[in-house]
Amino acid sequence: MRSHAAAYALAVAALAALILVAFSVGRYPVSVGQLATLVLDKLGGTRPLAPMIATVVLEIRGPRVLAAVLVGASLAAAGTAYQGMFRNPLVSPDILGVSTGAALGAVLAIFLSLGVFAIQGFAFAGGLAAVALIYWIGSRLRGHDPLLALVLTGVVIGALLGSAIALLKYLADPYNQLPAITFWLLGSLASIAPRDLEVAAPLALLGLAPMLLLRWRMNLLALPDDEARALGVDTRLLRALVVAAATLMTAASVAIAGIIGWVGLLVPHAARLLVGPDFGRLLPLAMLIGAAFLLAVDTLCRTIAPIEIPPGVLTAVLGTPFFLWLFAVSRRRW
Amino acid sequence: MLEVDALAFGFPGRTIGRDVSFALSRGEVMCVLGPNGGGKTTLFRTLLGLLPPHGGAVRLDGGVLARLPRAEVARRVGYVPQAHAGYFAFAVREMVLMGRTAHLGAFAVPGTRDREVADRALASLGIAHLAARPFTEISGGERQLALIARALAQEPALLVMDEPTASLDFGNQVRVLGRIRELAAAGIAVLFSTHDPDHAFLCADRALLLAEGSALEIGTPQEVIRPDTLEHLYHVSVRIVAAGDGLHTCLPDIARP
Amino acid sequence: MTRALVLWACVALSGLANAKTVPDATGRQITVPASVQRVYAAGPPASLLVYTLAPGKLLGWTRALRPDEAAFFPARYAKLPELGRLTGRGGGANLEVLLDARPDLIVDVGSTAATYVSLAERVQAQTGIPYALFDGRLEALPATLRTLGRMLGEQSRARRPADYVERQLAEVRRRVAQVPEAARPRVYYGRGPAGLQTGGRGSINVEVLQFLGARNVAAEARGGLVAAPLEQVLLWDPQVILTSYAEFWNSVWDDPRWRAVSAVRERRVYLSPHLPFGWFDFPPGVNRLLGLWWAGKLLYPDAFRGIDVRAKAREFYRLFYHRAPDARQLDALLDEPGVLPR
Repeated sequence: MRSHAAAYALAVAALAALILVAFSVGRYPVSVGQLATLVLDKLGGTRPLAPMIATVVLEIRGPRVLAAVLVGASLAAAGTAYQGMFRNPLVSPDILGVSTGAALGAVLAIFLSLGVFAIQGFAFAGGLAAVALIYWIGSRLRGHDPLLALVLTGVVIGALLGSAIALLKYLADPYNQLPAITFWLLGSLASIAPRDLEVAAPLALLGLAPMLLLRWRMNLLALPDDEARALGVDTRLLRALVVAAATLMTAASVAIAGIIGWVGLLVPHAARLLVGPDFGRLLPLAMLIGAAFLLAVDTLCRTIAPIEIPPGVLTAVLGTPFFLWLFAVSRRRW
Repeated sequence: MLEVDALAFGFPGRTIGRDVSFALSRGEVMCVLGPNGGGKTTLFRTLLGLLPPHGGAVRLDGGVLARLPRAEVARRVGYVPQAHAGYFAFAVREMVLMGRTAHLGAFAVPGTRDREVADRALASLGIAHLAARPFTEISGGERQLALIARALAQEPALLVMDEPTASLDFGNQVRVLGRIRELAAAGIAVLFSTHDPDHAFLCADRALLLAEGSALEIGTPQEVIRPDTLEHLYHVSVRIVAAGDGLHTCLPDIARP
Repeated sequence: MTRALVLWACVALSGLANAKTVPDATGRQITVPASVQRVYAAGPPASLLVYTLAPGKLLGWTRALRPDEAAFFPARYAKLPELGRLTGRGGGANLEVLLDARPDLIVDVGSTAATYVSLAERVQAQTGIPYALFDGRLEALPATLRTLGRMLGEQSRARRPADYVERQLAEVRRRVAQVPEAARPRVYYGRGPAGLQTGGRGSINVEVLQFLGARNVAAEARGGLVAAPLEQVLLWDPQVILTSYAEFWNSVWDDPRWRAVSAVRERRVYLSPHLPFGWFDFPPGVNRLLGLWWAGKLLYPDAFRGIDVRAKAREFYRLFYHRAPDARQLDALLDEPGVLPR
């Protein structure tokens, strides 16, 4: 128990520190003094002295930092839920196709030359639709282990959606639409606007709520189906709720940030190595670590060079050695 | 407490057992004997409500099983599966706490009383010292006892145990059988399956011989476990030997039958 | 395979009868029939140039013209079939489609780097059809037009457009030279629906800006299309923003994040005309010539005083698209919000 409390405290402290750092660094130079003045101005209700600083900190950096926290926490939560539900530590939030479906939605919107809000809307809808389709088909396949049926359906339908994306890329105007598609698929928090958060945050919270409320029952999904049912759990309903909740959180994240990999896969592991598999303990820690991780990555992505680096690249480069180290020093199993 | 009435059971599209009838009261121990593939596990799953009956009915304290909500069934019937390694390293206490789920609301988390029940279950099986150990790191016998503790945490009236002594060493087998008698003495009905007819002699009040889905015989172990019935079930030649004090044991003839 | 051999034989035979050899921009000697009648354009810049010099010999457009684009061309040429592209990003025309069209010559205008040379060689070897590669840069256009004219047997028709381009480029250079470095505004070219992609130094997307000697704020990034964080754009604080994306142009005025940028404050954000082909960025062909005048006037109003963009457009379209746009079309083109300063 002592080590658990320490892990939580460390994660909270790390996240807080990273948020502070993220607010103070960026391509646009803002000194700590200016930051403090801005905060005081805002609290005191006076107009900020330097409008450009205010714009940078409040309209650009602020939303971006909050988005990184939101997306990192959401992806980690979804990954944690799925790894428990599928009883497999190698599962990522995309196993039921939400990212591929969202990508197809966004690519279609770009192909139709729609605006940013429409692209996000299509991405969100695409993610939900893909999972609904896969879940519906997977649960109709009788005579198989329900989880295996879901996974295989997800793989097959995901491949189909992927080929649709490839087709759209092929048909897209190579000067105009194709680069936009490529950039979207790489994922990025660069164009986060305050409005994005206003829409995505409630959706993500809507997905988080059932996970928090059902955190005890989710542990029972780790047992073989017969045992869980014999213990009084309606496994079909619970799985459906978990899928819906995780999908909401992931789709909202992908809609505003594109596809960012590794967070949903690695962070739950790291958290599990620290506090064990009890979902009630695991979920908050995974969310904290996910938020901190993505915030660190995104802050690096936007400060290292004048151009943006796709966060997916950095999450893999940073996450893998970190995870290997964690695995080496820990004594637990999954 | 448990009434099985002309039960037909099987998988969707395939009935593998018919016309099984018996009743089990609190404090009674019934042992189900039968060869592999004879339908023991399918019967148990039907009795637990995990598979729908193909005919007949199962009643718990008078109520038809099929009409009871899942949680209600879980409050009355505890299932002890064969011990397995498990995927995630829950602590033994957490594993046992899972048994309290049926008594918790949909969004509730185990409270103090639940933890007390779990700890008492662990203590009653003599494994309280394992409470904080990861489930994946204890021995097979200890895991089996932990699973029994989990079922006990449900505070059930009936325990259904699927081959609880499989893959246990001799000492652990004896201990588990002893616990079964203690549980019965405490007023719980116990239904367990086994491959070893001696287990029936040791702790069962009644035995059910199951072959190819139908109940060959039901009665006290002395009544139904005879050389001819064992020959029918397992196709081997066995002598029943009286060991004094009303105890019996099986002595198979391993020379060519 | 057999078809290729047969075609090769035919070409060789007809070649023996009546052929000429003209070097393309990479120095490869291209052997074509003395009278080239059927030309396959490998990409949009090529189809534009072939169309200009010999519209009757162009076999088809790489992408079928949309109705609003087709309105700028004579009907019989607007309806040419769609043949797909051979090179560039997303390339992959079916070689059988290529063979089925039975061209005398394949023309490609764009990069002359080794990759494209090897692609040309490969297609030529596989199909037996001569594949000529030309430099698509703005300053190379007069030479490209003349050489292409020779190859197509249209030297006389090539003279006017080539001279025209030469004169225009020289005029632009002259005017630009008058503008001192300090008077050149910082420019940002925003691509994509959010305007957060741009062209770095040497990128073909901002060739017009480079020709105009403009101060591209993204010049510190090298290479092609890059993604710029919004904070970086604010740091660069461009005085003029150019874009080809109507969604971005529309959204930049209400977006609080862009409000503090000088260009937005002074309302110097402009949307390039796009019919029938964009004036500024894509496709990277001769269509960008007008972009020089359009952007030049926006960046250096004094040095480009007296330039009538409307007249330039009319002249260019007549010469290159073979159809002078009527007043209504010019209005639609130039009166679209954001194209010209209010």
